[in-house]
Amino acid sequence: MNVVVCVKQIPDPADPGALDPTTKTLKRDGKLILDESDSYGVEMALQLVTAAGGGEVTLVSMAPNGEVSGLRTALAMGAAKAILVSDDALAGSDALGTAKVLAKAIERVEGADLILTATESSDGYTGTVPEQVAGLLDLPSVTFAKHIEVDGSTVKVQRQTEAGYDDVECPLPAVVSVTAGVVEPRYPSFKGIMAAKSKPVDTLTVADLGLDASQVGWAGAGQEIVSIEEAPAREAGEVIEDDGTAFEKIVAYLDNLKVL
Amino acid sequence: MEFAESPEHELLRASVREVAAGFGHEYYVEKVRHGGTLDELWDALGDLGFFGVHLPEEHGGGGAGITELAIVCEEVAAQGCPLLLILVSAAICGELIGRFGTEEQKAQWLPGLARSEKMAFAITEPDAGSNSHRLSTTATRDGDVYRLRGTKTYISGVDEADRMLVVTRTGVDEATGHGLLSLFVVDTDAPGLTRTPIPTGIQSPETQFTLFFDDVEVPASHRLGDEDDGLRVVFYGLNPERITGAALSAGIGRYALDKASAYARERRVWDVPIGAHQGVAHPLAEAKIDLELSRLMIAKAAWAHDTDADRAVAGEAANMAKFAAADAGLACLDTAIQAHGGNGMASEYGLVDLWGLARLLRIAPVSREMILNYVAQRSLALPRSY
Ligand SMILES: Cc1cc2nc3c(=O)[nH]c(=O)nc-3n(C[C@H](O)[C@H](O)[C@H](O)COP(=O)(O)OP(=O)(O)OC[C@H]3O[C@@H](n4cnc5c(N)ncnc54)[C@H](O)[C@@H]3O)c2cc1C
Ligand SMILES: Cc1cc2nc3c(=O)[nH]c(=O)nc-3n(C[C@H](O)[C@H](O)[C@H](O)COP(=O)(O)OP(=O)(O)OC[C@H]3O[C@@H](n4cnc5c(N)ncnc54)[C@H](O)[C@@H]3O)c2cc1C
Repeated sequence: MNVVVCVKQIPDPADPGALDPTTKTLKRDGKLILDESDSYGVEMALQLVTAAGGGEVTLVSMAPNGEVSGLRTALAMGAAKAILVSDDALAGSDALGTAKVLAKAIERVEGADLILTATESSDGYTGTVPEQVAGLLDLPSVTFAKHIEVDGSTVKVQRQTEAGYDDVECPLPAVVSVTAGVVEPRYPSFKGIMAAKSKPVDTLTVADLGLDASQVGWAGAGQEIVSIEEAPAREAGEVIEDDGTAFEKIVAYLDNLKVL
Repeated sequence: MEFAESPEHELLRASVREVAAGFGHEYYVEKVRHGGTLDELWDALGDLGFFGVHLPEEHGGGGAGITELAIVCEEVAAQGCPLLLILVSAAICGELIGRFGTEEQKAQWLPGLARSEKMAFAITEPDAGSNSHRLSTTATRDGDVYRLRGTKTYISGVDEADRMLVVTRTGVDEATGHGLLSLFVVDTDAPGLTRTPIPTGIQSPETQFTLFFDDVEVPASHRLGDEDDGLRVVFYGLNPERITGAALSAGIGRYALDKASAYARERRVWDVPIGAHQGVAHPLAEAKIDLELSRLMIAKAAWAHDTDADRAVAGEAANMAKFAAADAGLACLDTAIQAHGGNGMASEYGLVDLWGLARLLRIAPVSREMILNYVAQRSLALPRSY
């Protein structure tokens, strides 16, 4: 059982992010970390490989400046190896450009039975890359998985819905996006951390993938960010003093918001 | 010279931080309040191998060194959960068994220590604190066993450990009158051993005990190192203890400064946040400088110990790191309390309850005065008064 997990490396959400006024995109010059959303996919992949009694987890990531910090975290958790695509030509890639790159990278992993992603990233959160990757690879796509089981050449997924979940089955290989919070991602152990040091990270360029620079980056982007604006400053809240009728005021307030 | 932290050290910090943050200072305080132990946190860290980072790989350890153990110790403390027992269990007992144990002893005790077992360390006696030459707990050989008699005091965590490493006297050096020492691994429930807790004002979950050894029988196979060679063994363990003790202080200092700077950025008494007043900002900045200087010395001391190149360099650096970090950690905490005004005294802000432990670290495991003696004599070749 070989599982590929797409992991995005993103600016640390603990540090306030900033948009570049000229490119209108998120500044990504600092150190990047593993997107927490993807740690669930990594954990699920590791559990699936263990349950299958063999195989390995391969990471695929596209990130600027040869960034490997986030990959190291996932390797320390137990993934076996990683493919990193990093190339100046990728700057400005939109979701489809990203999906093209990821799809090409995934094709290089031999015998991949299952491809996992998060449902959406924490910084871009268009939530479109997984389906685009599946489309490009011509694979079935299942979204919002909260539980995954592999049975021979079939994957059985509990697919989260607003009302509960659907039981979905589809043939492997397939692309499945994993909902955040559905498993408890393991913390890297000391042995895992030391082992990660010698795990292979294959760093590739756009040309290595057989893609043309015009298909990715600013050049290939079909989407344009037209303008960016400051989010409106948070307005001062309303203070309700409890004189014994506070609950009525709160109910009226919520009613007014139409949340009741 | 290289100061950048390696990716492995960064990952180690991050992993320890995340585990400890999942518990946090409130968990710690809750245990103090209700007389509990920190087993859940200890097990969570132990299961990931963090207490055995420095132990040999063939016995379940991580094969790294005190540099890594100091990182573990500092990061847990920086989340508001300072673990005093790392100093005795992992740093002293683990390091000494790894270094001086026979193959059987290592196979017997290290795998447990590499996970989440604890071992206490007993050297202090009512009449021999800072002066280990005066130890009076004796171990007398009797066939295949030794019999231990005497009293130890202020021994931490005996109730949480199955075993402890006890420093005893097995002879006397005729020339100097100093005790000749030997170390033994003793079961904490051995017949003839009794203990009474010592109430302290320190708000930490570990308890200290006075121990009475009344002909406690210990198999000769539990002697660590050669008979009468214990002083050399003990001295080897003191550096790891000092370095991790320093790391504990540094972690408390970081925790306190994080809280203080967050508070001083937000709290307004006049029109600007209090952190804009130099009277608040400068003491915090000064504490930060002292803290970072001590962390540099911790890294140097750990490096010197791990490379084992020059014991004198390791000893000097470990003592200086311990001294500097204990002072810096306490200064950070005290300054953080001051910056919080009245809130500094409130339990809710999670500062004042760490004061006892931060203050202790200027006394134990080795006092400031004994470190100044060490530096005066070893580094400056000054004569001694005692
Ligand atoms: C407001 C805005 C600003 C942007 N700024 C930038 C910018 O500064 N620089 C830039 O390069 N792009 C920028 N983008 C583009 C955006 O980051 C890409 O489209 C991104 O690579 C994929 O989109 P997403 O993060 O929304 O993916 P989603 O579809 O939300 O991601 C779902 C999952 O797909 C996988 N995945 C997505 N991206 C990657 C990846 N790169 N590597 C591995 N797996 C991945 C992960 O598993 C992820 O959880 C911006 C987009 C928007 C909307
Ligand atoms: C909470 C706590 C936990 C502890 N845990 C352990 C443990 O797990 N195991 C263990 O073995 N011990 C433990 N100890 C004991 C601790 O290591 C000793 O308290 C410490 O080493 C100081 O020894 P003492 O208390 O006997 O002080 P003393 O030796 O009596 O010294 C008293 C004072 O005189 C000063 N002084 C002494 N001699 C000189 C000198 N020559 N020059 C200048 N000043 C001098 C000292 O610095 C000190 O300030 C613990 C103590 C406490 C309080």
